[in-house]
Amino acid sequence: MKILASLVKRNTKLFFKDKGMFFTSLITPAILLVLYATFLGNVYRDSFMMGMPEGVTIPEKLLDGFVGGQLFSSLLAVSCITVAFCSNFLMVQDKVTGARADLTMSPVKSSTLALGYYISSTIATLIVCFAATLVCFVYLAIVGWYLSVLDVALIIVDILLVVTFGTALSSIVNMFLSSQGQISAVGSIVSAGYGFICGAYMPISQFGNTLQKVLSFSPGTYATSLIRNHSLRGAFAEMEAIGLPTEAIDGVKMAIDCNVQFFGHDVSLWAMFAVLFISVAVLLAVYILLNVYRNKKKK
Amino acid sequence: MENIIEISHLSKSFKDVKAVQDLSFRVKKGELFAFLGVNGAGKSTTISIMCGQLTKDGGTVKINGVNQDEHADTTKRDLGVVFQNSVLDKALTVRDNLESRAALYGIFGEAFEKRLAQLCVLLDLSDLLNRTVGKLSGGQRRRVDIARALLHEPKILVLDEPTTGLDPQTRKLLWGVVSDLRKQENMTVFLTTHYMEEAAEADYVVVIDAGKIAAEGTPLDLKNEYTADFITLYGVDEEQVKSLGKPYEKVTDGYRISVTNTAEATSLIQKYPQLFVDYEIVKGKMDDVFLAVTGKKINGNGGEEA
Repeated sequence: MKILASLVKRNTKLFFKDKGMFFTSLITPAILLVLYATFLGNVYRDSFMMGMPEGVTIPEKLLDGFVGGQLFSSLLAVSCITVAFCSNFLMVQDKVTGARADLTMSPVKSSTLALGYYISSTIATLIVCFAATLVCFVYLAIVGWYLSVLDVALIIVDILLVVTFGTALSSIVNMFLSSQGQISAVGSIVSAGYGFICGAYMPISQFGNTLQKVLSFSPGTYATSLIRNHSLRGAFAEMEAIGLPTEAIDGVKMAIDCNVQFFGHDVSLWAMFAVLFISVAVLLAVYILLNVYRNKKKK
Repeated sequence: MENIIEISHLSKSFKDVKAVQDLSFRVKKGELFAFLGVNGAGKSTTISIMCGQLTKDGGTVKINGVNQDEHADTTKRDLGVVFQNSVLDKALTVRDNLESRAALYGIFGEAFEKRLAQLCVLLDLSDLLNRTVGKLSGGQRRRVDIARALLHEPKILVLDEPTTGLDPQTRKLLWGVVSDLRKQENMTVFLTTHYMEEAAEADYVVVIDAGKIAAEGTPLDLKNEYTADFITLYGVDEEQVKSLGKPYEKVTDGYRISVTNTAEATSLIQKYPQLFVDYEIVKGKMDDVFLAVTGKKINGNGGEEA
């Protein structure tokens, strides 16, 4: 246990001290912020207004709170995955630098090493994502706060779950990498691509039918939807309270992926939680089995 | 002296490439053992197998009497390895690096501080502890590498081409430390190198070529067996040297005469005492041994010289 704790400490320290690795992990959230500042904010705002019946006036604070919540959910949905991938690249970096050979030269079990990477990557990702959450909460408090204590608690649960999912997924992918070039390639693909396929940059509802159906098999779709539902629940409740038509609100929910369908069936929030839980369990089982298989093969 | 490393019939192939073929050798406790070969000869493969980094196709490896196949964890505790390139975490401090590596051997808290203090004295590390490894000079980093290898007080120190790329002063410093370790702790040192002058200092040398042992013995045995002796004669003219009837070459201020062995040199001196007033007799060098054994000349990077 002490050996595992020491490995986790070493890995986590390395992630935050290795400026290259740390700043690379922040590229995707930074891109999202730039997109938001330049045009995405207006796109969110306009698409919301388009879904409202003519003549309806929305208080500016509510509109800002709604758009801010959408940004917040998109930002976290991508960060939980991309930061997990970047922090977990340490397991590949260790192979590239030779540190892995140094670690395995000792009598430490390879399962302890694998668990060390997983736990430290989870911790590092959680630190970055919770820091981002805090900043977003401050921003929402300034532009328009509609979150209840339960919403905040559920957002924290969402982050924990999505980070666990991201770390498990990255652990499996990164196991097969062994060079700096592969790190760059996978890093670029994940950074550039994940934001699109999880609906962070653009709602999945705006994609073509086939792509929507394909993406309904991706746990990332439900991860984004969960965070979005919890970060916008208060804003939607306020919309109802000021008398906006329920049909219009439902239309907006559908348009921004708060309501997700799986082959025509609505997916409830509990089902989304279940999808993520099962995905994490399956990915972790695969990660463990791959490690066991590799160890047996080595022997 | 008892054997501390016993390698028998070791073999390893990578697809069609036979990296190591039926390799068998022994390393005695406390000796400086040199493993010589050009790049790709099979040195690193052998070390990787010995250290449990690579699986073997056949043969046995015993470290300190323990079969590696049966108790890999025990054999790993007996080995401390200094890699050719530093493999410590460059972004962390020296202390963080040593602390995290010591933990892998179950060395924590006070036990770690005690060992760290000993290594600081041995390797003069005190001033470096809070510095980032990536910002250390080559020589300082090498000292930290050795400290890492010695953290768990191994019985065998494996040095994998430890002086490659180092300046002469750092090389000297490193060998000073290794020499102290051998004297003070009777440590066995397993060295791979392509610097022949380093191999010449070893107690026992194994020359490996294409995965097989090409020659082995003490440096003196190898020189006697594979190279000639040389007499360098000063203050004579070429006609006088020619009269000796031995192959020779002109060197600065004299002539270098090749003789089969020291006995022949003695007999020559006794036969022509008037010529041998100012002279010196030297054995062939390890470079000559290597060339004679493998037919290859080794260059400064460990590659084969064209």
